[in-house]
Amino acid sequence: MMQDYIVFVGVNMVLAWSVYVILLAGSLSFANGGFMAIGAYASGVLTVKFGMPLIPAALIAGLIAGAVGVLVGFPALRTRGIYLMLVTVGITVSVKAVIESIDYVGGIQGFGGMVGTRPWHVIALVILVGCGLWFLSKSPLQRILDAVREDELSAASLGINTVYVKLVCLGVGAFLAAVAGSFYAHHLIHVTPDQFGIVVSVFIVLYAVLGGTNNMWGPPIGGVIMTLIPEVVRGLESWRPTAFGVIILVLLLIRPDGLLAFRDVTTRAKKIW
Amino acid sequence: MLVEQIINGVVLGSMYALIAQGYTLIFGVLDKLNFAHGEIFMLGGFVCLASVALGASLPVAILITAIISGLLGLMVEFVGFRKFRSADAHITAALSSFAIGLVLIDLSQKVWGAEPVALTLPGSLQTATITIAGLKIVVLRLAILVISLLLMLVLYLVVLRTGLGRRIRAVAESPAKAALFGINVTRINQQVFVIASVMAGLAGLALAVRTGYSSTDVGFTFGLKALAIMAIGGMGDLRGALLGGLLVGVIEALAFQWGVGQFADVFVWLFMIAILLLRPAGLFGTLVSKEIRA
Repeated sequence: MMQDYIVFVGVNMVLAWSVYVILLAGSLSFANGGFMAIGAYASGVLTVKFGMPLIPAALIAGLIAGAVGVLVGFPALRTRGIYLMLVTVGITVSVKAVIESIDYVGGIQGFGGMVGTRPWHVIALVILVGCGLWFLSKSPLQRILDAVREDELSAASLGINTVYVKLVCLGVGAFLAAVAGSFYAHHLIHVTPDQFGIVVSVFIVLYAVLGGTNNMWGPPIGGVIMTLIPEVVRGLESWRPTAFGVIILVLLLIRPDGLLAFRDVTTRAKKIW
Repeated sequence: MLVEQIINGVVLGSMYALIAQGYTLIFGVLDKLNFAHGEIFMLGGFVCLASVALGASLPVAILITAIISGLLGLMVEFVGFRKFRSADAHITAALSSFAIGLVLIDLSQKVWGAEPVALTLPGSLQTATITIAGLKIVVLRLAILVISLLLMLVLYLVVLRTGLGRRIRAVAESPAKAALFGINVTRINQQVFVIASVMAGLAGLALAVRTGYSSTDVGFTFGLKALAIMAIGGMGDLRGALLGGLLVGVIEALAFQWGVGQFADVFVWLFMIAILLLRPAGLFGTLVSKEIRA
């Protein structure tokens, strides 16, 4: 039971971070459910059908998802931010449809036999990603990301390749989501394509947004709270979509500029001033 | 057989086009994506179902559906978009409308359940056929096609030929300048949402009547596809939404004809990505005005 909590909470923390990484460059991704599915299925095939150990399989699955994200995201990023949102919705829908039609991975019935996620895998992943993001927030790279997010035009005029920056963020976000997805699948033993639909993608985005996306601690906190509340309050599970929707609406209405507007300068800049 | 499939595709496409026109109208005027639009479409079917179950005849049911969809559109505008009107709030608006959509889906699943609910109309309305030039066509499908094309024609004329349309286009061009000319921007936004939502609701009704049942997941399957269709046709362009809708409907029907129907969704989204690569503004969109605003 405790193991379940650790794995689910950790996976959701990393998923929230995967959305946060993509948001760092100012694009919103509804594709992380799809990336998760790619991770779960690719690593599952590697471990079950080819007998590979879990961790290298998860990393390879992450690379595959990252490649898919970069390939599909590239045409959208050349135009306007809003097109990327559409393409990410398309990724999730398409990944699900493709997996459902491949008999090799069980089609609509789902794919089983994945075992081997230990709680320390997930804890280590959370710590690694957390450290990585913390170093990122202290590095000059953070300023480049801030520039791209706040004003793409002026960032480009300063010589920043904005498309490249956004693409890298999308790739890294996809990688994280896929690794989290493969750990998730290897804990559940059996997964179906239905578990990675568009609703899941929206939930992941909402984890991040509810926690707040102005700094790296908000998204994982949102992930933890949103995973544990339904477990603690009995009967809330069936009302989760409504509760989620209402909470997010209230938050957005109360603080229309607070949660997503990124009006804060980075913490380090604040210290200097 | 092939011709019949193409006709089916055109009928399907006309419903896609009805939804996509709503998306594109709202996007053209507010420059925001309305993710709750698909759920208004979904509810259109259920409102029709409920009013038929309460004993209303089909014309009355259509009227009720139109009114309730319009009210829902007003609600979505007020809750999801009123406060997020600034140009850089498109992520916030997308999230808030998605949240409204989640609530609408969940509440309708509480009322009608997650399984599809059958809708039976009195008489032989759903099965009557006529034969035109040796082709057996279900009258209902023909009616849906004609009515949705008429609706779209009316919308097109309203936007291009009337005072309301001129005001809508002015707000789409620049809300600030339109306000300076004495146009009530909030009122125009509301009117746009009502028009778009009524069309979505009627499309939902058409789908429910044609397939004989309504289901709570059509918002995500059908409605999201219309979003891709809007991008294919060119965001903010009514002709593009119509052409894109018909195109996708026919492609989908042909996909089923050739036995690759399960990939129909994938084709639509891949088609959208290909269009983005070749013509970033969609089939009809012009890059100039919109791109500068972005």
